[in-house]
Amino acid sequence: MSRQILIVDDSRLSRMISRQYVLSLHSDWQIAEAATGEQAIEMAAVNPPYLILLDVNMPGMGGLEAAAVLRKSHPDTHIVLLTANVQNSVQAAAEQLGIGFLSKPIIEAQIHAMLNKLEQTP
Amino acid sequence: MSELPNISEIEADCLMEIFNIGVGHAAAAMSNIVNEEVRMSVPSLHFTTRSDAADELGADLSLCGISQHYQGAYATEAILMFPETASFEIVRMMVGDMIPAHELGAMEREAMCEIGNIVLNACVGTLANMFEKDLIGSLPVFRVGSSQHILNPADEEDDPILLMLRIDFSLERQQIEGYLAFILDMSALRDLREQIRIYISRLEAGIAPVGLSMP
Repeated sequence: MSRQILIVDDSRLSRMISRQYVLSLHSDWQIAEAATGEQAIEMAAVNPPYLILLDVNMPGMGGLEAAAVLRKSHPDTHIVLLTANVQNSVQAAAEQLGIGFLSKPIIEAQIHAMLNKLEQTP
Repeated sequence: MSELPNISEIEADCLMEIFNIGVGHAAAAMSNIVNEEVRMSVPSLHFTTRSDAADELGADLSLCGISQHYQGAYATEAILMFPETASFEIVRMMVGDMIPAHELGAMEREAMCEIGNIVLNACVGTLANMFEKDLIGSLPVFRVGSSQHILNPADEEDDPILLMLRIDFSLERQQIEGYLAFILDMSALRDLREQIRIYISRLEAGIAPVGLSMP
């Protein structure tokens, strides 16, 4: 089943890496990219994604702020922070929002494990 | 360690150990990026000016540096530096054959910013977790130039004494040497010492350290 993924990161390189890792497991999935939290909210409103991969430190609206908005507007969408900011406070905030957390640098196996876990979630 | 004024032996030991742990996490992050072993030196502490620190690194050295400023329980500037000539190779090691070589050049600056962001946050985030205090980081800034330009970009006449923690590292197989530096002014050093005292007092009270787990 083809899914819609939204990758949100101000680094084009990071978006490319995440895209490759998702496509290497699910080549038929549709991937959209946003460079800011604001852009992610706009894009999710037009085309609600199955999963949002969200960086934290970005210009303008940060990932945690965007996650809070997206959590409310898209309660059924899976949201996972993908960030270099490994502070416990960020992980605690993710837990409080009910979203996932992955630390950079991400490796392919971690993305695949996360996707497989989500696919098994009812 | 004896260069640290008015800092007790246990405080200096704690400072070095905490940075050692942070640097260990930075090395692990760097190693995952380039997919090879990264060797890191023990941090060295110096009270110095930005200008003298740059001279010590090598006045003729042409570097690329990624810098991030952190604010919170204490303020610091963290800088990751590589020889300018190594930057393309590091980016190539990161992306492998994911991106064609002819497209890589255009992405080099952005990729180096992301590498700096990951490595610096691995270290600073670990420190924040150990002190149980948040640190807010700026977005990474990428510079290319002499060691003076990287370490002292403002080139201000007023060049006060600062505390610099420097860690040298190497990517063995590619023979690439790099440097990681943390710069604290005297006010930030006072704040950092306060965090170290709190950390030690927790240990002395028998409270187990937290914040050492990585996701």
